Amino acid sequence: MNFPIMAHLVMGYPSLAESLRSAEQYIASGCRILELQIPFSHPTADGPVITQACREAVEREQTRVEDCLDLLATLRQRYPEQEIMLMSYTNRIYHFGLKKFAAALLSLGVKHLIVPDLPVDSPIARQLEGITLVPVLAANVGEERLARLIDMDFDFYYLMSDFKITGSTFSLHPQLARVIAAIRTGAPQARIGIGFGISTPEQVRVVAQHADVAIVGSALIQAQQRGHLSQTLQTLVGYSAS
Amino acid sequence: MAFRQHILDSEGFFGPYGGCFVPEVLLPALEEMQQGFEALKEDPQFLSEFHQALHQINGRPTAFTPLPRISAAIGGAQLFLKNEGLNHTGAHKINHCIGQALLAKRLGKKRIIAETGAGQHGYATAAVCARFGLECTVYMGKKDYERQRPNVYWMELLGATVVAVEDGSQTLNDAVIAAFKDWVANPTSFYLLGSAVGPHPYPAMNTFFQKVVGEEIRSQCESLTGRLPNACVACVGGGSNAMGMFFDFLDDAEVRLIGVEAGGHGKQPGEHAAKLLDGQPGIFEGYYSYFLQDDGGNISNTSSVSAGLDYCGVSPILAWLADAGRVEFERASDEAALAAVQRLAREEGLIPALESAHAFAYAFELAATLTPADVVVINASGRGEKDLFITMRHFQEENLLAYARHLLQHQSQKAFAV
Repeated sequence: MNFPIMAHLVMGYPSLAESLRSAEQYIASGCRILELQIPFSHPTADGPVITQACREAVEREQTRVEDCLDLLATLRQRYPEQEIMLMSYTNRIYHFGLKKFAAALLSLGVKHLIVPDLPVDSPIARQLEGITLVPVLAANVGEERLARLIDMDFDFYYLMSDFKITGSTFSLHPQLARVIAAIRTGAPQARIGIGFGISTPEQVRVVAQHADVAIVGSALIQAQQRGHLSQTLQTLVGYSAS
Repeated sequence: MAFRQHILDSEGFFGPYGGCFVPEVLLPALEEMQQGFEALKEDPQFLSEFHQALHQINGRPTAFTPLPRISAAIGGAQLFLKNEGLNHTGAHKINHCIGQALLAKRLGKKRIIAETGAGQHGYATAAVCARFGLECTVYMGKKDYERQRPNVYWMELLGATVVAVEDGSQTLNDAVIAAFKDWVANPTSFYLLGSAVGPHPYPAMNTFFQKVVGEEIRSQCESLTGRLPNACVACVGGGSNAMGMFFDFLDDAEVRLIGVEAGGHGKQPGEHAAKLLDGQPGIFEGYYSYFLQDDGGNISNTSSVSAGLDYCGVSPILAWLADAGRVEFERASDEAALAAVQRLAREEGLIPALESAHAFAYAFELAATLTPADVVVINASGRGEKDLFITMRHFQEENLLAYARHLLQHQSQKAFAV
């Protein structure tokens, strides 16, 4: 069985129609989870590839949150069973209306939301009724903080491979083992994904030893830009964990 | 309402504004900073070390100067300025740099990250890092790097690494984001943030380190005029000099507090940086406040002749004080700021930074509506030497170009000699 890949893209890049085609390609090649990012003018935690994609989706394509929800609706209609997570920076969904956004996601069969600049226990997060936020953690998360998060019953943890921004070179921080062990003990049902800098099957193999899902973003956007998305998907998704 | 106590005890929220909206990876560093700051602000030994450094490095207290000629010419209120431009490195910024650097030392930090717009915060950070033996990297938008070149040179001379950020509009906002990204990659570094913005504890912490400005104004104004000012006027970019000036007067209801935003060259989006006048509430760069943004929550570009005011967000403390009606907001255009620089130079022998010139431009209008019995104090947050190439291009473009030609000619002659 192939090792689960969570494949990321920026909606509206290079256009809404093309991002929909990429998403369908991801699904066709067997990506277990889609991570669809709502573009933001200033993605504060992303590297240059995703930042540029966001900028073009916002400035050239004028992608609105409504357009992203339409894209999601199209995908949901065509692939009712596909697991999809959404990703957005806080300000875009804050402006759209957090309650309204949460309701829209739930009606489209999306339960998980990744918001890198919104601490999962922030009072504002409570307005996302019915949504399960995905904590994005790094190797420096404190013992107490981790215990508190585990008590909040998240079912998916997104771990940063190392201290870096998205699309950097891959490395796995030695202290992540401590975080993974604590999650496995405290939340045995939860899945763990590792991302940031994954671009080769060898790196997926390293991640597979520790996590349940490998998260790939910038590498797929670059592959799409260079016109070899299907080969890249094949190499990454085709990798067998056994 | 006891505004001052509320700010000091806030734990990061000022009404609905403020907070700590950052990636989880930064929370340990911010918690360490919050705890460090909470301990220091009550620690008499730290406070005496801080005030000694303000005196020894900075020459505080800074001068409180009457503006007799301009006041007489306007024929309204008596104008005074608080000369923060006399601080070491040329602006109020070094007050919070000294405070944060002392905190960084206590936390055992070795490396400092900073962003800068006009270069005043970066220059001050580079100076305190050199003095306290800390490694220093300063991010600066490429546009600001080019237009505030003197400060780039000073920072490099002081041993800092200055990174010109080529993202986005290449101004302060992009520098802040680049600094945050560095911090995510190096969470054991200390981010020495340059205004009363950002996630908790920065807004309250920088206000705490800057409040010495207003405390000095209170005693200087009382000893010179026998009373408190009718109005205090400060320019507002992020809000550090304004909070420094206003804090001590927040609970004196009779003192009007007026923030002046950058009116740029027009009122359309992208032509100015007036976020409290034209922005909407939002969550960005770690805090909830007013931002210039479009209806979809994307952050707008800003424009101002002064790099230090050319920023999309504003202190959450000022957002709260604006909603409460305690601080009023006005705008001054690029042209008005340049005219104020020229007027102060000619009539009072003072050259303010372009940022501070916005406060003067509005204060001159305000003074005309008051009487000589009234006292208006303006915070001259920085001095204008850093703006050499901007103001010279505006006032004496031919001389600037002649000087540039002279330098190039000199260099080619040298090349021949070799």
